[in-house]
Amino acid sequence: MIKTAQDMKSYKKQIRKALADSFLRSALDKFNTAYRENRPTVYKDIDFNTFRDAIAENKDSLIPFLEILFEEFKSNAQKAGAIIHRARDAREANEIIARIAKENKVKKIIKSKSMTAEETFLNDHLEKQGFIVTETDLGEWIIQLKKEGPSHMVMPAIHLSRYQVGELFEKQTDLKFDSENIDKLVKVARHELRPKFLEADMGISGANFAIADSGTLGLVTNEGNMRLTTTLPRVHVALVGFDKLVADLGSALRILKLLPRNATGQAITSYVTWIKGANQCLNTASGKKQMHVVFLDNGRLALSKDSVFSTSLRCIRCGACANVCPIYSKVGGHKYGHVYIGAIGLILTLFYHGKDNDRAIVKNCINCQACKEVCPVAIDLPHLIKKTYARVIKEEGKTPAKNFLMAKVMKNRKLFHFMLRSAYLLQQPLSKGKPMIRHLPSFLEKDHGFRSLPAIAKTPLRDLWKNLNPELKDPSLKIALFAGCAMDFIYPGHGKDLLNLMQKANIQVDFPKDQTCCGLPAMMAAEEITAKEIAVQNIKAFEAKQYDYILTLCASCASHLTHNYEKIFSEAKGPGMDFKLFTDKIIDFSSFMDRVYKFPQTDQDFNKKVTYHAPCHLCRGLHVTNEPRALIQKAGYTYVPSKDEDVCCGFGGSYSVDFPEISSEILKKKLDNVEASGADILVTDCPGCVMQLSGGLDKRQSHIKVLHLVELLAQKK
Amino acid sequence: MIQIMSENAAGVGTIVHEISCVSEAVQYAVDLNKKKKLKTMACPGLDLKDRDSLQDLCQSSGLNFLKEPLRDHASIIDTSLTWVDYGIAETGSLMLASDLEDIRIATMLAKIHIAMLPVTKIRLNTEGIEAELDEILKKNSPSYTAFITGPSRTADIERVLAIGVHGPVELHLLLIKEMQP
Repeated sequence: MIKTAQDMKSYKKQIRKALADSFLRSALDKFNTAYRENRPTVYKDIDFNTFRDAIAENKDSLIPFLEILFEEFKSNAQKAGAIIHRARDAREANEIIARIAKENKVKKIIKSKSMTAEETFLNDHLEKQGFIVTETDLGEWIIQLKKEGPSHMVMPAIHLSRYQVGELFEKQTDLKFDSENIDKLVKVARHELRPKFLEADMGISGANFAIADSGTLGLVTNEGNMRLTTTLPRVHVALVGFDKLVADLGSALRILKLLPRNATGQAITSYVTWIKGANQCLNTASGKKQMHVVFLDNGRLALSKDSVFSTSLRCIRCGACANVCPIYSKVGGHKYGHVYIGAIGLILTLFYHGKDNDRAIVKNCINCQACKEVCPVAIDLPHLIKKTYARVIKEEGKTPAKNFLMAKVMKNRKLFHFMLRSAYLLQQPLSKGKPMIRHLPSFLEKDHGFRSLPAIAKTPLRDLWKNLNPELKDPSLKIALFAGCAMDFIYPGHGKDLLNLMQKANIQVDFPKDQTCCGLPAMMAAEEITAKEIAVQNIKAFEAKQYDYILTLCASCASHLTHNYEKIFSEAKGPGMDFKLFTDKIIDFSSFMDRVYKFPQTDQDFNKKVTYHAPCHLCRGLHVTNEPRALIQKAGYTYVPSKDEDVCCGFGGSYSVDFPEISSEILKKKLDNVEASGADILVTDCPGCVMQLSGGLDKRQSHIKVLHLVELLAQKK
Repeated sequence: MIQIMSENAAGVGTIVHEISCVSEAVQYAVDLNKKKKLKTMACPGLDLKDRDSLQDLCQSSGLNFLKEPLRDHASIIDTSLTWVDYGIAETGSLMLASDLEDIRIATMLAKIHIAMLPVTKIRLNTEGIEAELDEILKKNSPSYTAFITGPSRTADIERVLAIGVHGPVELHLLLIKEMQP
């Protein structure tokens, strides 16, 4: 039923189809915006970060001991009459459940929502064995009728319109409905499914918690179908992943503070149910239900021992990583996961459903960090997605050409910079000496023509440096510039503006010549060894101890040089590298100008409206949010906010080249918002974003000018 | 605390009233049934005295009083009147130990569930009932305990909120100020 693309060519085809689905696009766009806008209200009473960190810490302390928790659960649940099973993999779980059904002469089965049962494709197995299985969660019932998999972990039918649902219901009931009226459609489900509950011999549920110290299952639901599923039939089977084990009720209640808030924006769901053992059931001879709990391993126990990926078991299936993902909101869940969708889906698919299903989708992350920011259990999702990609490459045993080239070129700074210099000459037929390339050769124009491209500068900043930068006699501060490739080779003008500002404040700026690319592109391509070698080169190039700060005007470089360098060296085996001295001195431009430079309030008024784009790696990567906006105003401009300022611009480095069809859609929404703000100037503080935004606005022939914050601050009347 | 409970319960669609005693609740339930032109009522778990008075009122009002086991009447329960054990003010939730099948059926299958809660049983948050719930769960016997917050709901079609998909369409909460000894 689920057909996940196993190669890039068919994946691209699927993506183009999804992008053309106008209902899907508008539904998910609205959802993405509404979810983010609603979040402050949802969390007004409780502190998200405090609970998140506590839950993550608690989960981490237990993940190595899942087997012990399982034994504890088992012994407690058995005392209350439950029968406990463990299944090594999906097939074994399905077989256990089918066997229970057969032994109890079951014919009809009802199910409440369970992602774990989706994971094992339980329905297919049971139907093949001749059982009649009915999903009773409204969304699950809809996709069962449509013969599809869920497109969201919490709202499985979010990709379908009321009219599509109405059509399905009409087919099912042979009646006509007014599909405009969603209330009526919901009543159809109530009416159609009620008899199924009463007729069923067996009910299958999942669980959100398996509480070890009492042997209780906790289930978090809204519709009431789960309560009927676990009450009316004489047999209840719960299929539960090992990762759902928690030590005690307190741990479950703590997760319950965040799970509904993060998933659906509710302080609590309509029903939270705690079920222990074989409860009363008056249509059996014993007066008791038969209660089975099947614990599914399917790779979880191996994950729990994995030093890199064990944190993925923290996941509580709230679905928020999809809700805020700019890519999910464009292509939908069926193109953004296999069974599990969203950021966590790109990771878990490899471990639960194999590399073939993850091969294409795992590449589709722009690294905007939006998922990491909302994750209620603090999983570093963007990082793990790249780690997953690296593992897929390793399992395939074949290095992609891009990685091969990247390793060859980027490890060797001189070769890399020689190629960038050559690009200046090669681009001449396209740029015609202008700073923007407006038209690409026709074979590239179709996919990549959504933005103009900046031309490579004739002389990179590193070559201009000597003439621009007089030695100051008695400088107040001595800093080093980490230029990054974009500033060095595309926007050397930013460097000139920077030096003007610094000379005014008597700050000496050095440009260590052996510096190279920060290494983020290598990390994004899961080219880990290259990323590490580059990091070592940069750390050596800077001799950090002689500087007060290492300043960079690129938000992505700043975030990579700090957080990712730390990850690279702390994950590395063998002798360590003294990276702290270097990473501690890294500072982004906004923070530097605000905190260190103390940029003064000007008395000039440029009488211009300026809006801002918050680079992902600045606002989420480094949590710098107020400084740039304050600086805009101090410089004598009127700051006008635009909608979704902190949503990605769609650049993502090579992402925009690998997935231009998605990048251009993300950019389109961004620029629509920018234009709606009424601003004259769009400011941002990352050259990558400058490139994407100015390229897009240039194509629109917009009057709005894009500036790096350094250009704005350096302007004189 | 009563106010927080009432506000938060109302915020999720629960219809809240403060009343003075159980007999008023019984009258409320019968009146509501009549007003809505419904036919049947169930009240598992009530004291004999209250149950009798409800049954009498049903009879005089022409309503069908459903006797347990309710499984026999599963498809015709219009309204149920039950106790709940605790209120959780912060979320407007009700905690109900529903080990008895009849309690479960009554509160899951009825169109309208009317819940009675003594105001003395309202706690601020889940931390306030954690010890009581944990005690239930730690017993070596089966148990089925629910937190109920508003009527049954879904947003599975176009994220539009719809009430009463599988469980009760209405949830009424009667906060009882004085409990008779």
